[in-house]
Amino acid sequence: MLTRRRLLLTLAALAAPAGRAAVSYPQVLPRALVFPQDFGAHPDFRTEWWYLTGWLGGPAQPLGFQVTFFRSRTDVDPANPSAFAAHQLVIAHAAIADPARGALLVDERIARAGFGLAETAVGDTDARLSGWSLRRDPATDIYHARIAARDFSLGFTASASAAPWLQGEAGLSHKGPEPLQASYYYSRPQLKVQAQLERNGQLQKLAGIAWLDHEWSSAALAADAAGWDWIGMNLDDGSALAAFQIRSGQAGRPPVQTYAALRAANGAVQLIPPAQLGFTPLRHWNSSRHRAAWPVAQRITIGTRVFETRPLMDDQELDSSLTTGAVYWEGASELLEGGRPVGRGYLEMTGYPEDTRFIL
Amino acid sequence: MAGSALEVSQLSRRFDGRQILDQLELSVAPGELVAIVGESGSGKSTLLNLIAGLDQPDGGRILVGGQDLAALDDDARTRLRRAQLGFVFQSFHILPHLRIGQNIELPLVLLGIAAAERQQRVAELLAAVGLAGRAGSLPRELSGGELQRVAVARALVHRPLLVLADEPTGNLDTETAAMVMRLLVAQIRGRGAAGVLVTHSAAAAALADQVLLLSRGRLHRQGPDAR
Amino acid sequence: MLWIWWQLIIRYAWTWRLRTAVQVLAITVGVSLGYAVSLINGAALAEFNAALREINGEADAVIEGSRTGFDEQLYARVATDPAVQMASPVLATDVLVAGTPDEYPPRLTVLGIDVLRAAALSPTLMGDRPGTVDSPASRFAIFGDGILLSPSALARFNVAVGDLLSVQAGGGTVALKVRGTLPGVRPGSLLGVMDLGFAQWRLGGLGRLTRIDLRLADGVSLEALRARLDLPAGVNLAGPDATGARLANLSRAYRVNLNVLALVALFTGGFLVFSLQAQGTLARRAQFAWLRAAGLERGQLKRLLVAEAVSIGTVGSVLGLFAGAAIARAALAALGGDLGGGYFNVGQPVLGFPLLTAAGFAGLGILAAVAGSYLPAREAAHTPPAAALHAGGAEEVLRPLGRIWPGLALLLAAGVLLTLPPVSGVPLPAYLAIGAILTGAIALQPRIARLVSRPLANCLQATRAGTRAPMLLLAANRMVQAPGAAAIAMAGIVASFGLMVAMGTMVSSFRGTLDGWLVQVLPADLYARVGQSTTDAWLPPADLQRISTHPGVQRVEFSRAVPVQLAADRAAVVVVARMIDAADPGAALPLVGSPLAWQPDMPPPVWVSEAMVDLYGAQVGGMLELPLAGRLQRFAVMGVWRDYARQFGSVAMRAEDYQRLTGDRTRTDAAIWLRLGVQAADVSRELLQTLESREVIELRAPDEIRALSLRIFDRSFAVTYVLEAAAILIGMIGVAATFSSQAMARSREFGMLRHIGVTRGQILRVLALEGALATVNAIVVGLLAGLVIALVLIRVINPQSFHWSMQLIVPFGLIAGLIVALLACATGTAAIAGRRAISTSPLRAVHEDW
Repeated sequence: MLTRRRLLLTLAALAAPAGRAAVSYPQVLPRALVFPQDFGAHPDFRTEWWYLTGWLGGPAQPLGFQVTFFRSRTDVDPANPSAFAAHQLVIAHAAIADPARGALLVDERIARAGFGLAETAVGDTDARLSGWSLRRDPATDIYHARIAARDFSLGFTASASAAPWLQGEAGLSHKGPEPLQASYYYSRPQLKVQAQLERNGQLQKLAGIAWLDHEWSSAALAADAAGWDWIGMNLDDGSALAAFQIRSGQAGRPPVQTYAALRAANGAVQLIPPAQLGFTPLRHWNSSRHRAAWPVAQRITIGTRVFETRPLMDDQELDSSLTTGAVYWEGASELLEGGRPVGRGYLEMTGYPEDTRFIL
Repeated sequence: MAGSALEVSQLSRRFDGRQILDQLELSVAPGELVAIVGESGSGKSTLLNLIAGLDQPDGGRILVGGQDLAALDDDARTRLRRAQLGFVFQSFHILPHLRIGQNIELPLVLLGIAAAERQQRVAELLAAVGLAGRAGSLPRELSGGELQRVAVARALVHRPLLVLADEPTGNLDTETAAMVMRLLVAQIRGRGAAGVLVTHSAAAAALADQVLLLSRGRLHRQGPDAR
Repeated sequence: MLWIWWQLIIRYAWTWRLRTAVQVLAITVGVSLGYAVSLINGAALAEFNAALREINGEADAVIEGSRTGFDEQLYARVATDPAVQMASPVLATDVLVAGTPDEYPPRLTVLGIDVLRAAALSPTLMGDRPGTVDSPASRFAIFGDGILLSPSALARFNVAVGDLLSVQAGGGTVALKVRGTLPGVRPGSLLGVMDLGFAQWRLGGLGRLTRIDLRLADGVSLEALRARLDLPAGVNLAGPDATGARLANLSRAYRVNLNVLALVALFTGGFLVFSLQAQGTLARRAQFAWLRAAGLERGQLKRLLVAEAVSIGTVGSVLGLFAGAAIARAALAALGGDLGGGYFNVGQPVLGFPLLTAAGFAGLGILAAVAGSYLPAREAAHTPPAAALHAGGAEEVLRPLGRIWPGLALLLAAGVLLTLPPVSGVPLPAYLAIGAILTGAIALQPRIARLVSRPLANCLQATRAGTRAPMLLLAANRMVQAPGAAAIAMAGIVASFGLMVAMGTMVSSFRGTLDGWLVQVLPADLYARVGQSTTDAWLPPADLQRISTHPGVQRVEFSRAVPVQLAADRAAVVVVARMIDAADPGAALPLVGSPLAWQPDMPPPVWVSEAMVDLYGAQVGGMLELPLAGRLQRFAVMGVWRDYARQFGSVAMRAEDYQRLTGDRTRTDAAIWLRLGVQAADVSRELLQTLESREVIELRAPDEIRALSLRIFDRSFAVTYVLEAAAILIGMIGVAATFSSQAMARSREFGMLRHIGVTRGQILRVLALEGALATVNAIVVGLLAGLVIALVLIRVINPQSFHWSMQLIVPFGLIAGLIVALLACATGTAAIAGRRAISTSPLRAVHEDW
């Protein structure tokens, strides 16, 4: 295990803040997002991800699933002409949340881009990495994914019924007080999923609902940011709720940044002023693997509406030490309003373990 | 077992075309001591070697304790020697790096006799030849006469049927020779063994029951009275 | 029997402590040398394999090209093949490290790896980068520029993390920042790791890989994968052990040679045991006769004597194992894992003490002792006791030794063995033939002794010389009458002297031929070289220009050496591209035999080294296919040349053909002819100031190269000399011990001589003369046997194991010196042994029967 630890340490180095890189990353400036171009990768930017989370199966035996492709542009000398030069890294995480198991079933992959083995294509969503792939069919606007993980195999289609939902200011999402602390960010909520899940030699055909986030940026978080809490919820009435807060590193201080938006089933978007937005921990779950108390149930106040999240299971902690180096909580959660389930989606939390590092 | 300890009949042996033994006859009864005298080269040692089964005759028969040597292979003859014969040589053939007691003990070891009995018999024999208490000595610490007494003890320790002695006093001065000879004869007689004694010493021959002269390949009776 | 064994054998051994000690020592020395050499070889191989595993990691299979590698696009194809679970690309580059004070710029193997993929297959290559975790310079440090070095490399090149390491790779010099260490790499291993992307860029390997480590999907066999992949020419798919096997093959001949040399000591020891055992049996024949008379069976006596030999062999072997382990430890510390042979580029091998090997050598030791004792034991058991009971006639017992047919049969067997081919590359039949020649010579020795001494004795008898030197007459007569006794004493000497002459002649022939060859292949005034053929560095293009245009230079011939892998389990063959006139190749190459004339309508011509003929069956007039630039190219073999520099095969071709077929314009070597009156040293100094590659280029005058080569030659034969010395030492001890015990056995004879008025001094003189006569005889026989064995070594064993031929050069000086030393030693030993024997009182001696 010593060598594994060493690799872990070297990869942890990825998480360190940018230094004297000769590489220049473009800034996130206001511009109109153009599709399908912006469905694809933006390799000049430092960081990019396609984050697909959702629920599968009926109410009796629900499962959560997460499939994420990250692209990271390194500070490797751009002059290096080698096809093996690690200018771009592709990382993927996949997880199944099954309450019957009580912990996530996860797998992760990392590779330098190149040779068709690991790529995030420009022009439309098309990411692949060592046999894992996520691709959008431009004709049907259906996403196709294939994940051959260590302990499970997941293939699915996720079809969108509406145009991309541009988050923030027409797709420009602020992540800190500085104008440049921002990302380009759009979501594809209410995706209809048809999935084939193979576990322990058993094949299940499942239907469900999912949410895709695509975000790219060059900026790091604000210096005093500790981490974030984020939700993406598909409400049963066809509407969708996106919200996040970037917490301050100092206890008692207000969040560095908050954001919430509701999109009605008809596509009308309601941006919630930060003043009307609040995240309150309701219940903590203590991780036995990392010294972290995750607020796995939270109350989220949006104007006059008060929502609560309820995790499909408590232990949805994901340790990606071998790839991104982060330990985060990415959990299938129900959304309740007035104690009544109104929707399903994911709660994502970062920055709770004491020795947290982010990569991306 | 037949009546005699040794029965030799029609024994012939040639060396390089020379007839050393020619139709030789010899019979030794149990407890009888026979001395064989003769000139050098008359075939005395050859006769002893044949009796011991160390050499093969060209003709004739040798029965030791009723056993026909010709019927035995080399190993069987060896076993017969081991059990029935005792030897005393002119040059004592005491193994130099064994102690006196061990030299005497050797035939018993070859016969597979238990250590306790070996010790007892060695002690008895050593006392009998007047070397009591010398069991731990090394051969080089003994005189020639003492060494030959050791050889006598060794020849008798396993209670052989027949003792063969080849010029046992040849290397000794007259006085010592007489003493060793008396001892040898007394021991052979005292233990009921038969003996064949090859010697050119008249004094030695005088101690025997009968004296035979080996000449022209045959034995000629020369009873003590013949002198 | 145990009682008898204890009382007769052990007490006897204790009584004759010195004699026993010598026998035990003879076995001990043989076993210890054999075991030590085997341990060291084993340790070096194991270390190499461990180092390999460290680099290759846990791969199931490896795709390997030659040093120049293959197109990286193969990786995309292999990595996506469903039969492959994981593929890890590697670019291995052997660079030269600049700026060290070494005679030859040291070589460093740099592995360019994709850390994300290698992690799964080669965990030891994961580095430690101090500072990158807590105060990182870059969050992508592991993909960045710079190199990670093994601890030994850091120490060897005297650099620390953060320093720059200057290396020559390809045609240029690169400064690499030392970014971290490789703490998992074995001590002694000189290894660097870079990110593959930067290794390709910095070390001149863009677009190339040298290796792809594979983990196969479940249930996929190597053969199945090989069939699927359809690899380009010169690229092989091999199992994980191929490289280890290649090294084992590469060094096998050398290791077997060392082992055989070590066993020679045991062989000689066996003869010594024979000498002393025969002597001891003779001395005890009266005892044994009495025992037989007293009733010990023939078989029992034989078993007793064999048990005696087993006892000697066992004690000697056990001591030998301990001594061997100690020798191995010391030799490893002093000479390194290859004992100076230059085959293993490994660090500090760790000795293992394998039980099986130990048991094997102990068995050999006991076998040698038993073999040495068997003949005397048989003889003793079959001696008619009646005769032995009376003193004298010792020579009678030795009469079988005078028989002529066993010796002749052995020599005949040797002749037959010499016609047999080697067994898996090792000339075992020839080695057996050497044993047969030696044993045969020893067996014939009594006959030869009688043949030589009889005229001498007759001459002395007939002339006045005999009366003037009565002692010589006595000695000569004894040789005639009792040649067996002398033969017994001399068996060890014949064996060791014969082998010494053989090895000396072989080494001298080799050295002399090598020297002549060096003069032949180094006609120019100055030689420049960047790297040896096994590194990935060459002369920078600017330097080619600088050398050519130097005012002192009249003419330059550039050449290129490039290794080519012809078989996965064999060492690479070196292709040498140089200026060769196809009409007169002998001007450029030291040809063996006459070459064929090349016609322009033939494929391009090549001239192959002798090893190519032996290893790859290349034939003059035939065709040879070589993978060059990723394609199999056909060449016409026009001749064979002698190449001592590359044991595993080399192919010389015209530079223009090489360039046309590969597009490679790089050059690694330059032979420089200077203008009249220009000093090589001046040109060399000036070039060293201006050349780009000055830190790594080797500029040498031919004399210097010759001296260096011969020094390396001598170093690699150093162990040989040590083993030979051990063999002759055993032989000498044998002479001392045998003479001593023979003299003791003859104390009665000496007592008699003293009785009739021979002085003590005269007896000593007789003994010395006997010693000298016997030694002269042994020397004659040993010399003849040695020269025959030398021919076997030169004509059979060397071509079979190292694939080179040489001329016979007899080292007369060395042999003469050996003869003088041997004579002095044997004569002195005989006299000293006699002094002890005649110290016994003559009176008692006459009385003693033994």
